Amino acid sequence: MVIHDIVIIGGGLAGMRAAIEASRAGLDAAIVSKIYPVRSHSVAAQGGINAALKDTDSWENHAFDTVKGSDYLGDQDAIELLCKEAPFDIMELEKMGAIFSRDPEGRIAQRPFGGAGYPRTCYLADRTGHALLHVMYEQLVKHEVVLYDEWHVVKVVVEDGTARGVIALELSTGKLHRLHSKAVLIATGGYGRVFRTTTNALSSTGDGMGLALDAGAELMDMEFVQFHPTVLKRTGILMTEGCRGEGGYLLNSKGERFMSRYAPKVQELASRDVVSRAEQTEIEEGRGVDGCVLLDLRHLGADKINRKLPQIRSLAINFAGVDPVEKPIPVKPGAHYSMGGIRTDFDGATTVPGLYAAGECACVSVHGANRLGGNSLLEAIVFGRRAGIGVSNFSESNGLLPFPATALKEAAFEVADITKRDSGESPAALREEMAGVMEAHSGIFRDRTRLTDGLRKLRDIRERFKGVALTDRGDYYNNELLQVIELAQMLKISEAILLGAVEREESRGSHFRTDFPLRNDKDWMKHTLVSLKDGEMKLGYKAVTVTKFQPQERKY
Amino acid sequence: MKIKFKIRRYNPVDTEASEPYIQAYMCEVPEGMTVLEALLKIADEQDPTLSFRKSCRSAICGSCAVSINGFSKLACNTQVIPEFKKAGEMLIEPLANHTPLKDLIVDFVPFWRKMEKVSPYLTPAEGESAPAVTPEDEERVDRSQRCIMCGCCNAECNSLAIDENFIAPAALAKAWRIVGDVREGNARRRLHRLSEEHGMWDCVRCVHCTQYCPKDVAPLKAIEELRSSAMKEGITDNPGAKHVEAMRDSVERFGRLDEAAMTFKTLGFLRSLGMIPFGLRMEKHGKLPRPHIFAQIEELDEVKKIYEESERRAKEEKRELASRKKGW
Repeated sequence: MVIHDIVIIGGGLAGMRAAIEASRAGLDAAIVSKIYPVRSHSVAAQGGINAALKDTDSWENHAFDTVKGSDYLGDQDAIELLCKEAPFDIMELEKMGAIFSRDPEGRIAQRPFGGAGYPRTCYLADRTGHALLHVMYEQLVKHEVVLYDEWHVVKVVVEDGTARGVIALELSTGKLHRLHSKAVLIATGGYGRVFRTTTNALSSTGDGMGLALDAGAELMDMEFVQFHPTVLKRTGILMTEGCRGEGGYLLNSKGERFMSRYAPKVQELASRDVVSRAEQTEIEEGRGVDGCVLLDLRHLGADKINRKLPQIRSLAINFAGVDPVEKPIPVKPGAHYSMGGIRTDFDGATTVPGLYAAGECACVSVHGANRLGGNSLLEAIVFGRRAGIGVSNFSESNGLLPFPATALKEAAFEVADITKRDSGESPAALREEMAGVMEAHSGIFRDRTRLTDGLRKLRDIRERFKGVALTDRGDYYNNELLQVIELAQMLKISEAILLGAVEREESRGSHFRTDFPLRNDKDWMKHTLVSLKDGEMKLGYKAVTVTKFQPQERKY
Repeated sequence: MKIKFKIRRYNPVDTEASEPYIQAYMCEVPEGMTVLEALLKIADEQDPTLSFRKSCRSAICGSCAVSINGFSKLACNTQVIPEFKKAGEMLIEPLANHTPLKDLIVDFVPFWRKMEKVSPYLTPAEGESAPAVTPEDEERVDRSQRCIMCGCCNAECNSLAIDENFIAPAALAKAWRIVGDVREGNARRRLHRLSEEHGMWDCVRCVHCTQYCPKDVAPLKAIEELRSSAMKEGITDNPGAKHVEAMRDSVERFGRLDEAAMTFKTLGFLRSLGMIPFGLRMEKHGKLPRPHIFAQIEELDEVKKIYEESERRAKEEKRELASRKKGW
């Protein structure tokens, strides 16, 4: 057994940012991650990170755009924090070593993004997440943070209501280990892989949200899944919102810029839920091109594309066989981001003492029913830092409580329960089936029948999952075992998404019910809470915090 | 199109087959399918015991570098059909220059240790306010900061193949990312360390790193920038820099390279004596350079002009940098 002050699960932007803060506080923090930190999916964030930096902008404007983008479901006190602290964090990132793209005067350049009333998205070409993740990794090396990479956490250990550490599977050997700590922070990112078409990495399986549920914490607003409007058809690979920020058009089969009918004022730069629904409508009404719409960058010219969107050009060439300098790129909506997640306060604390969460897996909530582009990297940095301080304070004022003697044995028993089965369904096939159900029943347009059917199918998969069997009987890098453990969590997450979606009888942000097409502020200005009691999911609700901005009709 | 994938399998704890072997899988490949997609399909539908690393599947996380038909590539970024048509087969093996752990998974610990060795983080000078970064400053390190740490360059590196302690191109590209940063305060100290044995001067400039980099980082360019910066800083007390100086002097004096004299100038007299057996072996193969009889070329003054001009430019550059530093 190893002992650390703090165990952080996940080595993406939020997890590393938190680890650095803990390290600065003189604490011994360790990161446990199923992939090496620079492989984390923060690396794929393309477009940028928002902050009101210029005199002609203000954090209040940023906050208003975020609240409006959230369709008034975001907690406004949390959003205020996010927007107020953003400029500080941008400066700190530069101090750490990041270089944001410059304008001709040498100041940090900012580009327009969807749903924002001001060009406030800082960027490094179209590799912003990559730049920030690598800078954070540099700081991790500088602070000599202990890493357990390619270790997968199978359990957050909770005793008498407080977190005591984790049990993790060392993927290279198949051994289970105990990591004993004063506090645990979950920063495992999103769950995009529960959907078939997703921009998310193969490793974005939402593990931490499942771990948190098991540990007794609550998930919040899980029915809100962001579908990004511009992903490649077959692979789901992301084409950044920066494409439209830099002036790209969306065209239907008739060559029309159809967004003028859905968002007359800002057209392609409406917020993501609005654009995705518009695209889906065009496709479903027969104005699509082979199940897609077209992202046209040709008028930007080769020079601008090469300077501002070089990665997009090579992704389009390598993965869709289209050079955007010459031809429009076929794109469609795909699952992209989880607005919901583990319920936390502003300092990352969950409802379980000693258990913290930050980043995409957490829900503070700053994104409400729909996240604005450029706000996710920001959330990971601001709340990664804040949670780092929060978890440090907790572990400084609380001693190391005993690690339950039976925890390892229980976890080993659970793993053995999977590995000992002689025959059963293939976990890969079951995973595909789940992703298909979620895509068909919990997509952009939802209604009660579709959702309840989906829930029924999903529960059937959940039952059958208890009988899956492994082909791989080895200990070394048993990827199939990892997949089964991931699938168990994904099934829980899927159920939470569907449950929340069935009950929320209104349309708000990314959650659109064709049987309840309007927003209902009278009954639904509240967050959905999901918790696990005796193996069954329970729903609850919590009022939204409104400070400066009263709900009004949302038009772009 | 049905394609036969030949994949190198390895499982050191497999009691029946603990040595590496090639296993073949037939896989139906549609137009556009990448090698990574094919590997995932094979693992899902045919053989879940097949191990390989993967994550983003869009050429930015750096997980899935493997050897495809003998060359290091990202599996996610390589389309099967064109590759198969070009090479006539589809052979997938673990990255070269790295120790295989299981199937296509290699030991990356040495890679990370080398990264750590170059202290890969900005250390601004104490007490000075950081200079503003101009678009030109950004441009200077831009290619080096495209690195995704996939290891393709190290896998193809000829120097690393013969010296496992060589710092290798990936870490050197990172080193330039920091040294070349206008805000860095310890560039000189870093260049000193990089000039030590197994450091940047051990690169033989075979250009493989640049050739096989999937992200256009051009590590060799970074290595050249580092070497040039070190020499400008006067860090020349090492065989690598001496070799360059010897070359420069030879061309300046004779207008051409006097290869026979290089060993003495690079290593000094005593260490050159130790090279005699090596020299004899070279001679046996007809590879030993002969001293020139008429060393000097005819129009030496033209060469002198080139030297003068480049010296004038170097001075100008230095003056500009100094005046910028004053402005900070």
